[in-house]
Amino acid sequence: MRDLRLRRLLTGSASLGYAVLAATAAAYLIVYTSNLGRLPTSFDYLSILNTTLPLVFVAIGQCLVVITGGIDLSVGGTVALCSAVTATIVDGAGFAPYGLLLFVLLLGTACGAVNGVIVARARIAPILTTLATLSIFTGLALWVLPVPGGFFPPEVRLVLTNPNLPTGLIWLALAVVGWLVLRRTRFGTYVYAVGSDETSAVAVGVPAARVKLAVYALSGLCSALAAVFYVSTTTSGDANAGGPFILTSIASVVVGGVAFSGGRGSALGAIAGAGALALVIDVLFFAGIDPLYQSLFQGLFLVVAVLLGTGAAVVARTRREAR
Amino acid sequence: MTTLNLNTQALRERWLALSASGRRVIYACAGAIAVLMLGSFFHEGFANWSSLRVMLVVASFIGFVAAGQMLVVLVGGIDLSIPWVLNGAAIVLTTTSLGQTGRLPLGIGLALALGALIGFCNGMGVAWLGVPAVVMTLGMNGVMQGLTLGLSKGLTCPSCASYAPQPLRNLFVDKVLGIPVELFVWVGVALFVTVLLLMTTFGRRVYAVGVNPRAAFLSGVNVRVVTVALYTLSGVFAALAGIALVAYGGQPSLGLGDPYLFESIAAVVVGGVSILGGRGHYIGVVAGSLTLVAIITFLQAQRVPEYGRSIIYGLVILAILFTYGREKSNA
Repeated sequence: MRDLRLRRLLTGSASLGYAVLAATAAAYLIVYTSNLGRLPTSFDYLSILNTTLPLVFVAIGQCLVVITGGIDLSVGGTVALCSAVTATIVDGAGFAPYGLLLFVLLLGTACGAVNGVIVARARIAPILTTLATLSIFTGLALWVLPVPGGFFPPEVRLVLTNPNLPTGLIWLALAVVGWLVLRRTRFGTYVYAVGSDETSAVAVGVPAARVKLAVYALSGLCSALAAVFYVSTTTSGDANAGGPFILTSIASVVVGGVAFSGGRGSALGAIAGAGALALVIDVLFFAGIDPLYQSLFQGLFLVVAVLLGTGAAVVARTRREAR
Repeated sequence: MTTLNLNTQALRERWLALSASGRRVIYACAGAIAVLMLGSFFHEGFANWSSLRVMLVVASFIGFVAAGQMLVVLVGGIDLSIPWVLNGAAIVLTTTSLGQTGRLPLGIGLALALGALIGFCNGMGVAWLGVPAVVMTLGMNGVMQGLTLGLSKGLTCPSCASYAPQPLRNLFVDKVLGIPVELFVWVGVALFVTVLLLMTTFGRRVYAVGVNPRAAFLSGVNVRVVTVALYTLSGVFAALAGIALVAYGGQPSLGLGDPYLFESIAAVVVGGVSILGGRGHYIGVVAGSLTLVAIITFLQAQRVPEYGRSIIYGLVILAILFTYGREKSNA
């Protein structure tokens, strides 16, 4: 049993994400200690965790969409809109801010549902649908918050991304558990069925249109969660905050071993990929590389990680065939 | 008798296929005319020659990048490396030509070669290494961004302040028959792409790969070579747009190419090219580029604030997609 689990960890689709994360973490420890002469403190780990959480959530949403064979470019717009709204309305004491946070999450889900309806019912290609809604959501974000700013109640911040206690770990764990449960529900199976072969899935009675709608709505919810954690960490909102998440979430999903053709992959891989992508920036920083070259290494990292994944898959296949 | 029947049937099918894709080109042209007419309804002189000339010049930049994007989309790919290939080529042009007319050919040659090289790498990654197009071109975009920023030290290098040489800038000043020379360049690009796609064997192969790569491979098309050639061309067209933009503005800036990624995709789709590949003509893309510029110009003339422009832009693209961007039902 343990042997089986170990083998799954090493050969599953998420193994690429784990391997890349482990390699980047090792690189991080090496450059950090050789630079500062000591091991990273709990403060370092905590700040990495808190700054990575938004990307982790966006990556989970993107992963779900990619598993159904789609892509969500509007995550940038949804994160921007929800972060603008969070920084504008979430205030007060007691339970009031949590109620408003719930409203933000509903707003994000609604944004995603709009994508879902257009993709599933109007049958417009996901990349085009979400390109158009990206423009709409970004415009709405600029309308809500024309210049970066706003506020975030400190009490809520202590609960979400406490700078001194690892409360972020709880939320990360909840995300992982949420995925593991979702994966095992009927809906989770449907998601994979729609992604691997939509025609067959429809033929055996999978409500493909409804599954797609739900997946895009979930992606919107994840983007809203990311926005809340983003505002909580930076304590201000920014209508341009969403842009980078489009490409980094796609990169996390790819590094996490999720197949773009759909039907294969796991959000755990995407989470590992998000972690690795965030760590790479710290590695470059401590290695003393000019920040201007940062995107060069991120780009190479992305391509090389995918090539390693393809290479590993080819090796595994030839070995299986030889057996 | 049966062969004759088969022939007429094949002809009929071909006609239907042609008209389906031709219909989309007509939709795209009608869309452009509709936006222009709507504009003239609200603003007198919106579509008169001097205003149309400005819109066409701005649309030509989108037209260049969309030419490359379209070629790649025709085989079911996508090129996300356009923004920083464009920006890199623009900076290479000014830093090698240093504003001197004599060094202009060198500058243009190097800029186009850079585009070709990056496009070639994209094509090799996609066709030979099997990296998904989204990932390969996204990665190359990052690589180009890092190299451009790093090597030009964030555009603070001594030669980075030089202007584009005068002959290049005259493209926008000189007029033949009242038409800026720049627009003739666009006509040249349009002719090149149209002839390449419709009148050469290579063009036939491109559509064949786009419709069904496996069938194309089995009928003897070297799918990999076609793919690499198309990505290389896309890089060259992105570089060409960079050259045109730096000639228009005089000096390059950082982030020059950022708006052109989404605009190139939008122009291709509004122009009636199927995002799934195998279907589309450049004439539609020309109309699509003009439509996008006319919408933006109209919203600016209406003094719509930036957020409103962004929202309406998205809504209009959605509306166009609803009209003719829908896929066949799977069920």
